[in-house]
Amino acid sequence: MLHTKLIGSISVVAMLGASAALAQDIDWKTQLGDHSGKTLRVMTITDPFIDSIKAVKDGFTKVTGANVEIDGYGYDALHEKELLACSQNDGSYDVMLIDGIWIGEFAEAGCLDPVEEKITENPDLYAWDDFTPAAAGQASWEGQRVCLPVGIYYELMYYRTDLFEQAGRKVPETFEELKEAAAFFTNNKDYPGVYGYAMNNKRGAAAGQQWFEWIYSAGGKPWASNDIGSAEPYKDQTPLFNSQESVDLVQFFRDMVAYGPPGVESFAWDERANAFAAGKLAMINDWSVRAQIANDPKQSQIAGKFKAALMPHKDGGKTITPVGGWVACVNTHGTQKDAAWDYLKWFASKSVHRDFVLAGGPPSRLSAMEDKDIQAKFPWTSVLLEGQKDSWAEVRPRHSVAFQLIDTVGAHVNKAIIGEQSPKDAMDAANADVTKLLQDNGQL
Amino acid sequence: MANAVIRAGAPQEAPRRAFIHSDRFQMTAFIAPTCIFLALLTIWPFIYSVYLSLHAVKLTAMKRAVFVGANNYINLLTDPLFLRAMLNTGMLAVTSITCEIVIAFVIAKAFVSLSHLKWVNGLRSLFMLPMMVTPLIVGMIFSYVFNPVLGIANYLLGGVGLGPVPWFGDSTVAMVSILLINIWQWTPFMMLLIMAGLLSIRSDLYEAARVDGAKWHHVLTLLEIPSIKGIVLLGIILRIIDTLRFFDVVYVTTRGGPGDSTMVLTLYAYQQNFQFFQAGVGSAAAVIILIISMVITTFAVRLLRRIENE
Repeated sequence: MLHTKLIGSISVVAMLGASAALAQDIDWKTQLGDHSGKTLRVMTITDPFIDSIKAVKDGFTKVTGANVEIDGYGYDALHEKELLACSQNDGSYDVMLIDGIWIGEFAEAGCLDPVEEKITENPDLYAWDDFTPAAAGQASWEGQRVCLPVGIYYELMYYRTDLFEQAGRKVPETFEELKEAAAFFTNNKDYPGVYGYAMNNKRGAAAGQQWFEWIYSAGGKPWASNDIGSAEPYKDQTPLFNSQESVDLVQFFRDMVAYGPPGVESFAWDERANAFAAGKLAMINDWSVRAQIANDPKQSQIAGKFKAALMPHKDGGKTITPVGGWVACVNTHGTQKDAAWDYLKWFASKSVHRDFVLAGGPPSRLSAMEDKDIQAKFPWTSVLLEGQKDSWAEVRPRHSVAFQLIDTVGAHVNKAIIGEQSPKDAMDAANADVTKLLQDNGQL
Repeated sequence: MANAVIRAGAPQEAPRRAFIHSDRFQMTAFIAPTCIFLALLTIWPFIYSVYLSLHAVKLTAMKRAVFVGANNYINLLTDPLFLRAMLNTGMLAVTSITCEIVIAFVIAKAFVSLSHLKWVNGLRSLFMLPMMVTPLIVGMIFSYVFNPVLGIANYLLGGVGLGPVPWFGDSTVAMVSILLINIWQWTPFMMLLIMAGLLSIRSDLYEAARVDGAKWHHVLTLLEIPSIKGIVLLGIILRIIDTLRFFDVVYVTTRGGPGDSTMVLTLYAYQQNFQFFQAGVGSAAAVIILIISMVITTFAVRLLRRIENE
């Protein structure tokens, strides 16, 4: 016991020491201005990483004298509040964390001050190339670096190590293997109360985002010019929602309902994460930030009993790890832009990002993903490092009608999932609706 | 006396002072602030909504509004989702209010019959609690209660040997769940009105009915229902308006799903306005909801007046 405590103490001291050493590389007093008496207001999502932002914010106050207030909102409320405020020239919030897929909408509303110039002035401190490529892509729009990708998520598959070991099964890598494993654990008397898998089936954004997250691994793509690595992904947005790959994928979603708990058709992110943490699911795919929930013994019954793997792919294909998450931007109508830029320069820097990640934040930099301390504390980090290599920033649309488009697709996918329509009919309808939406809004 | 002073001091001022002291001016002056307040906060937004509804415009790019005439209205009235939302809202209003009246009447009768007991007052206050809770909180509470895996509803069903129910996962069951939540929250309101109506019936009328040998159904149909008809109709009007604004519970629990099974008018309008920022379509939806409300309310108020005159 004493031995364990001693090792624990040494580890903490070593981590803090390493963190301090990194922090010492930068003389923040010369890098940042004096903002004594100011209060910076930051608006963000109430995802688990909000506590990590709060955990490190005093460091900025210490160096600049500025207080930092962090206000959190739910996903829809944040989108509505941020976009309404900044499109009405409201500068009451200085820094806004926005979902990477909202960037086109916010750019169209004239809400964001681009970071491009700041990076050019101080490339070493911003270390743009240290952000994972997909993270950097999420924070850029129309060839310009607009925001800083500080809270980037990757979608991984999590599985219960105890159940898989007991069953002697290998971790599924393809859709068919996933289906077999999910069927094995569902209604199995050796695993009472456990269901195989739960997907994001709820009407709207949940089911819509799920479709986009899986389509590349299913061998398809969402619109004509959106090939992985394309320099002009938005050149031809002719939708491909009724392609054979898409219809097969939606059929797969429908098949997977049989291996979820009753009512899984209404599950979204929270329901799935909570069911997995309660030990009711053998497997789940989710954003990496939510692994914290399952790993926290205070709110999880499976802490230490799960591992991460790449999401499955279609037989003969390959996994394209979905990327998402939050980019930090300066409100163009803010009245304390100098302080806001200084805050972002400080918060997104390598050293502070490392502290933020050690406090539970999602790693968005390669240096953080490769960090041994971080990998030791959050074992799924090494899978993230592997997954980000095959990821694509445009996996979901990011233009000005992306929010509505994803919701529209989600409404149709959900109809197929609940059996109200066949996958073919549902995706034909999705294709028609999205085509009209894009035409009405000048995207097609 | 005052007029005499005016005449003596400044003859040319007389008409002006007379106007200032006139009833007509003073009434106008007192009513004007309210009228201006209403015009600014009610009528102007409505006119602006109508203006927006005639344009293709996003809330984030208001300067790029394009006049489209009645296109938004035509699109809405041919949009299967909007029509489904109208149908769902209508169904919800009819079924929910009918159930509320029946249940509320039974409970109100019980409370009136037991009103001589001391503890009934406390019980009546407890019964009022659901309608005091914010609808958003009600939605959150029931999303936990009806959670298929961790919710208490399925746990209790399991305790009596029944299988779990997909409360929000099946189209029909989800609509029934929404209906149950609505009834749970608003039956106390209807009960309050019906109880007030029942208590207003003079006891000698009951006594006369008893002496005349009236059965319970005679008392119900010839005495109680006619007596509470007016107040129940008032309750129905208020509940219809409420149901047309019904939003929070659906927003939190189902988002209009599964499929389009629980989509209601206000959720549709909210999504267009504040999730998709399509101010033109959203405003057209809001104007349609307002027109429906006005038609129903006007009709119901006329009916109410006719009942009162009877």
